[in-house]
Amino acid sequence: MMYNNEHFEPVITPNVDKPGCDTLDFYLKNEDGYKGLEKALKMKPAEVVDEVKKSNLRGRGGAGFPTGMKWSFMPANPVDKDGNPKPKYLVCNADEGEPGTFKDRLIFTKTPHRMIEGMIIAGHAIGSNKGFIYIRGEWFKETRLMQKAIDDAKKAGFLGKNILGSGFDYELIIYRGAGAYICGEETALLNSLEGKRGEPRLKPPFPAQVGAYGMPSCVNNVETFAAVPYILLKGWEKYAKMGTERSGGTRLLGVSGRVNKPGVYELPMNLSINDVIELAGGVKDGKKLKAVIPGGASAPMLRADECGVLTDYDSLAKAGTMAGSGGIIVIDETVSIVEAAYTLLKFYEHESCGQCSQCREGSHWLARMFKRILDGGGTQDDLDYIAKICGNMAGQTICAFADAVTGPALSSVKKFRHEFEELIRNGGIDKTRAHTHSHINEGAHV
Amino acid sequence: MSNTEIEIKKPKMDLNYTSNKKPVHSDTGPEAKPLPKVTIDGKTYEFKPGDTIMEVAERYKIHEEIPRYCYHPGMPIAGTCRMCTVEVEKAPKLMTSCSTPAGDGMVVHTKSEKVLKSRTGVMDFLLTNHPLDCPVCDKAGECKLQDYNFEYGPSKSNFKEEKRIYEDATTKKLSDKITLNMNRCVHCERCVRFTDDVTKTNDLVMVNRGWHKELEAADPDKGLTNDYQGCLTDFCPVGALTMNDFRFKKRAWFLEKKASICDRCSKGCNIEVHSDSDIVYRYVPIHNEMVNGHWMCDEGRVSYNDLMNPLRIVSPLLRHQDSLHSTTLQTVLGELKSQMLSANSVQLVVGTDSTREEAALLKDKFSDSLGKKVDVFFHNGTHGVSTSKDDVKLDHLLRMKDHTANTRGVEETGLAPLSGGQVNADIVVLFRNGRAAVPSMKSDQKVILWGVWTYEEVKALPTQNVLGVIPGHATIEKSGSFKNADGIVQKFHPAITHRGGAVSAHQVVSTLKSLN
Repeated sequence: MMYNNEHFEPVITPNVDKPGCDTLDFYLKNEDGYKGLEKALKMKPAEVVDEVKKSNLRGRGGAGFPTGMKWSFMPANPVDKDGNPKPKYLVCNADEGEPGTFKDRLIFTKTPHRMIEGMIIAGHAIGSNKGFIYIRGEWFKETRLMQKAIDDAKKAGFLGKNILGSGFDYELIIYRGAGAYICGEETALLNSLEGKRGEPRLKPPFPAQVGAYGMPSCVNNVETFAAVPYILLKGWEKYAKMGTERSGGTRLLGVSGRVNKPGVYELPMNLSINDVIELAGGVKDGKKLKAVIPGGASAPMLRADECGVLTDYDSLAKAGTMAGSGGIIVIDETVSIVEAAYTLLKFYEHESCGQCSQCREGSHWLARMFKRILDGGGTQDDLDYIAKICGNMAGQTICAFADAVTGPALSSVKKFRHEFEELIRNGGIDKTRAHTHSHINEGAHV
Repeated sequence: MSNTEIEIKKPKMDLNYTSNKKPVHSDTGPEAKPLPKVTIDGKTYEFKPGDTIMEVAERYKIHEEIPRYCYHPGMPIAGTCRMCTVEVEKAPKLMTSCSTPAGDGMVVHTKSEKVLKSRTGVMDFLLTNHPLDCPVCDKAGECKLQDYNFEYGPSKSNFKEEKRIYEDATTKKLSDKITLNMNRCVHCERCVRFTDDVTKTNDLVMVNRGWHKELEAADPDKGLTNDYQGCLTDFCPVGALTMNDFRFKKRAWFLEKKASICDRCSKGCNIEVHSDSDIVYRYVPIHNEMVNGHWMCDEGRVSYNDLMNPLRIVSPLLRHQDSLHSTTLQTVLGELKSQMLSANSVQLVVGTDSTREEAALLKDKFSDSLGKKVDVFFHNGTHGVSTSKDDVKLDHLLRMKDHTANTRGVEETGLAPLSGGQVNADIVVLFRNGRAAVPSMKSDQKVILWGVWTYEEVKALPTQNVLGVIPGHATIEKSGSFKNADGIVQKFHPAITHRGGAVSAHQVVSTLKSLN
């Protein structure tokens, strides 16, 4: 069909529609469960890292950093200043909080063992005996499911001491966040894990040197871990072939907004955004597509005419946006871009951790400015000043939050300036709507 | 350490940021390795491996080129205010100079167009929610928000929204010493890091996040509990944390600033005396790595109130019939000398708050000036301390048990301690600078008071048989030197001019000698 990719097969979601797919029995029976682990444990850690490196797996959390490379940054035998060996930690970032992103939740609820298996393999690869799963605070049910999955895996001997007779010990600990978006940033997550304020740390040192509890740590996304068993089981070639030259495998895309069939889709990366929208049943009610946010709320918007771009990391980066966490938000012609952008900015205003001057004050300032424009108090100067504020924020702070704020703010003003100007001219969103309605009614009369 | 002598000097730089980092030079010799070099604004500087860019700048006293809010040399690095960003060649983004280690061959620009634009941006953001209440703010005149805005800020703001207002923000009392005005805060969090890492009392926290972020006492019922709260107002770059003791007393630009030494305990913290028309308004610490670092305790900080006390005796007094009367120094000294000469025995008790010079003078010259053998002892008596052996640290930072400044210096002159803290002579001369305790005595003991005394202290004496009072200079009014608890000798000069009738010990001794 339209996948247009003879190598493609679902890596993570082949059976998520089957009943009982989250159980250990199902995973063992139908999905070659923990076979990848079995294979990995027979390999040397460096070989596992090499396998993942060759598979071109890139981090699925948003930044798209090559996973194998990240694992290889972990020091082999870290020692403290007295010469005692230091433990290494593996951390799973399950703080999925990006507006428009809901792919990790699917893994948690439908195929948790795949992720657990991936984590154990990663633990073996980087030489860690303890892993933390940092779960978003709002995920009550998901936490329960994951805890059950961990308990089951432990009972079956996939976790704990001497896993599958290999002599490798592994332990997984669940830690629930308190509901802060910024704790999805890896160093803020580590701070939060340690019980501190969830504020990103200054880098360097990077987590691979000083991570959780001061020990070398590796933080990966849920989807990244979930892809690892497949790579080990089926080999890196098969995985790499599915993707593009620089990015292997498939991506989970959470399509939401004004489409007929919103949901999580596992797709190869050689599909364009238009293809994805078509797969998701097309734009709702046959309306015209206006804009797409291709990678979660932080990704700059694309106009409808730019949606031919492929969904892989490099193509999207070339188009001036980013693949991010795979949350595709579809916006149709009935939606006011200013209102949509304000909704996102309100979120960012609320979620900035408040460390860096630019981000703390800027996210608030932008949200208030958009609100004022919506309420009819905007001026032409405001539009230029929004660009200036964004310029002062982006790339100037400790973490990428400030850049994320400028994503929707700057792209909306740049690409949909006429909508802002219309609001300024008409004196706000309400008056603009009234104006449009009366216009339509008049047309009907004629 | 015991032979170290330093002279207290007023630093050229801003008090809060002073750093004692010195330029480094490569070793010479055949085996010597050259030190790494970094180029800052076109000039090349050698540095110690591990230095950050800011520290290199501090070494060569060019750090004033780099503005900063959250960075403080006495605290861990936060890197959050983003004011100190500089351009490093080959780095894609601007780097925070406080946290970026200098590298060999690195080329740094502190004033490039990109840097200045970023600083203007930060100022624009910080000023959006600042109340701009400089006319009623105590920090005005020494405020970093003012200074940096003058230098880097945008000429006008486009902020048209409503400003952030914290509830009860303007008069929140964090303790009886400190008032917080949260509206003025720029969220540099120096105060939080200070209580976390310097005093280790953890009594300040930031609550909430984003632009609602608010400073609060960790335990709002207790408030601030540490003994170094005054330091918060020193390094707070804006007027968010102000000291109740100084609040609304004086505009900063009227203050004359002279270096001196705090005589409140045996630590001898280096201070700057801020005065106007010889009235002292506050003490602030001067950075001295060997003595007090960047800090000083609250007890010392407000101790200027003792010598600004309106009840301090500043003119010579002589007993006539039943009360003390003000008269000339000549009259007082003449009368007292004849009384001392006719007494069977005279003791001189030198307080350990005297300078080394005073103690030596009294030991060697007092008997001679009187023409009569006088037994000279020293006495401390503060908090049960009699000699420097009893002195202990009260916390991990600065505070000492001995509340006089020069116990070790006075001991060094060879004087003996007053045995049992009990005086025993017909007439006892008590010489002190307002810090040492009064020794115990009989209720009809004849005493001559010399030095810094207040009427309250005279009234509280065990005896009311005071023959006369010879007023003397307090520490910040004279020159001299103290030897502190760590054996460091510190010289100091007058920070203010004494405007009353007090005279130096030297003048008293020479006058006594000249009288017949």
